[in-house]
Amino acid sequence: MATNSLNRQQASGTPRIRWQAVAGQIWEVFWALATLFFVVFPIAWLIYTSFRSGLDVYSDRYFSQLTLENFQTIFFGEFSVVPEFFTSLFVSTATVLIGIPFAVMAAYVFSRFRFRGAQVLLVAVLTTQFIPALMIALPFYNLFRNTGIYDTPWALIIVYLSLALPYSIWMMRGFIDALPIEIEEAAVVDGCNEFQVLAYVTFPLVLPGIITTLVFSFIMCWNEFTYALLLAGQETVTLQIAMTRTIGIQGIAWELIAAIGMLVMIPMFIVSFSIRKYFVEGLTMGAVK
Amino acid sequence: MLTNSRQQGFAKVAMLAPALVIVFATTVYPMANAFWLSFQQWQLTKSQAPNGFVGLDNYIQAFSDRFFINSVVVTIEYTLLSVALTLVLGLGMAVSLQKRSFLNTLIRTFLIFPFAVSPALKGYSFRFMLQPDYGVIQLTLGSWFPFLKDMVWLSDPWWAMFWISISEVWGWAPLYALMFIGAMGSIPTDIFDAAKVDGASNWKMFWGVTLPMIQPVIIIATLLKIIGSLRIFDQVVTMTGGGPGRATQSINYYIYQTGFKFTNMGYSSALAYLFLVVLAVLSYMYISRLYRQEN
Repeated sequence: MATNSLNRQQASGTPRIRWQAVAGQIWEVFWALATLFFVVFPIAWLIYTSFRSGLDVYSDRYFSQLTLENFQTIFFGEFSVVPEFFTSLFVSTATVLIGIPFAVMAAYVFSRFRFRGAQVLLVAVLTTQFIPALMIALPFYNLFRNTGIYDTPWALIIVYLSLALPYSIWMMRGFIDALPIEIEEAAVVDGCNEFQVLAYVTFPLVLPGIITTLVFSFIMCWNEFTYALLLAGQETVTLQIAMTRTIGIQGIAWELIAAIGMLVMIPMFIVSFSIRKYFVEGLTMGAVK
Repeated sequence: MLTNSRQQGFAKVAMLAPALVIVFATTVYPMANAFWLSFQQWQLTKSQAPNGFVGLDNYIQAFSDRFFINSVVVTIEYTLLSVALTLVLGLGMAVSLQKRSFLNTLIRTFLIFPFAVSPALKGYSFRFMLQPDYGVIQLTLGSWFPFLKDMVWLSDPWWAMFWISISEVWGWAPLYALMFIGAMGSIPTDIFDAAKVDGASNWKMFWGVTLPMIQPVIIIATLLKIIGSLRIFDQVVTMTGGGPGRATQSINYYIYQTGFKFTNMGYSSALAYLFLVVLAVLSYMYISRLYRQEN
């Protein structure tokens, strides 16, 4: 009998330790779920609000009937943000389509060639990221007003390039650094010039990195608020600024902000989900992997 | 390293030039222009061109401008609060999701979503939830704690600052958690085994092993967050408009008011330059860390 109970104890631990293990597990699951709640609740509440009527949003009720009327208003109604949606889409797309090829080429040079001043140039490029936005915005505001660029999408595209390019160059350099150089050297031996190496050898290999960089730059432009607020006139209101304009005589129309918010965030959820593996690398420009 | 040739020199320049020309044209021009403006007296509403050179007057004025000093204090308070909260919450989340399990892997996927929410929308979302009478956070807290029933969060100087921080922390802490989880995963497990043999508790192992091992990542992440927090602007616009009073008027917001609302171009540029000095020092620290990390 004595050996029997000893065996059983070995199999499942002493009751005290087993209880502790269970309690520990519950404790861990509790904190994991608390984290999930903290992260998801504001998003979920915004989504829910976008499907509630304005009357319900302004009441102290938690539950209400769902309706599509807010989306009707922002797509077809008096507060239509369809033009703003396309402004955002055009500005962000144009910025990444112009910026990414340039960034890839520059990153390739920084990664693969050693030349005098390379280090200084690379740091200078990164430093431009830390200049306060207001310092950039004020002179550009005057310049754009004087040259007629003001209130065209190009005003925003020019400024967004100054945001997206330094970031993309650094990220792309990290991705190209990670590729073995031997394949490229073999291509050179076979008679490729630098442009051919980049186009036919490096480009296909680094494509996942390019897509990641592209998505990050796109999110950056899409979510940008400061320049959009300062440099956009009546014709170039982006979605971000459209939210600030739902404030009417009756105060803020929260249900409309929520509906526009869906338009703002859902596309970004989809694209960021597609590159989730590279998220941490992307955020720190490769400093943390 | 690829071999050198004359043709290669051309290729290098041709590949570098477009990007560098855009980057430096879009930063050097405004910087030079703002530098020149910072020595000018220029009220845009009164004249289309600067009214003349005033030397260092704009800079001297800044040091006795109590609203500017207020904005510096506000920005520092905000930065300390949001960086501390991001680090603590980020570490907490990382620890709670560190173990491999189905649930944890699922939750980790959700951690990327707050980042994709634009700062302006974060601001509106939290402002909405904090509204008296119908905001969900205020309703819930008010029904749990009767003494909070009549609380108007964003009208209180301290709480307004706190909630702006929370809106920011909500976006960043989950990402820090992802970063920390990655760093924790690369700690060799035999260090933990050795600590366990020595009888260390979980708490002791966290302080004695985990934290020191992921310290480089923490430093990089903290520097990046400090630089980001100092530049807080979007949520100030969409949550409080700098209020109540001037309680949440950050440096960027004050420069914005001076330049774009009161159109005092010269003074606004001088303030931006003063701000740049601080950011430059921090950026230098960040970049040199980045390099040490790489090599």
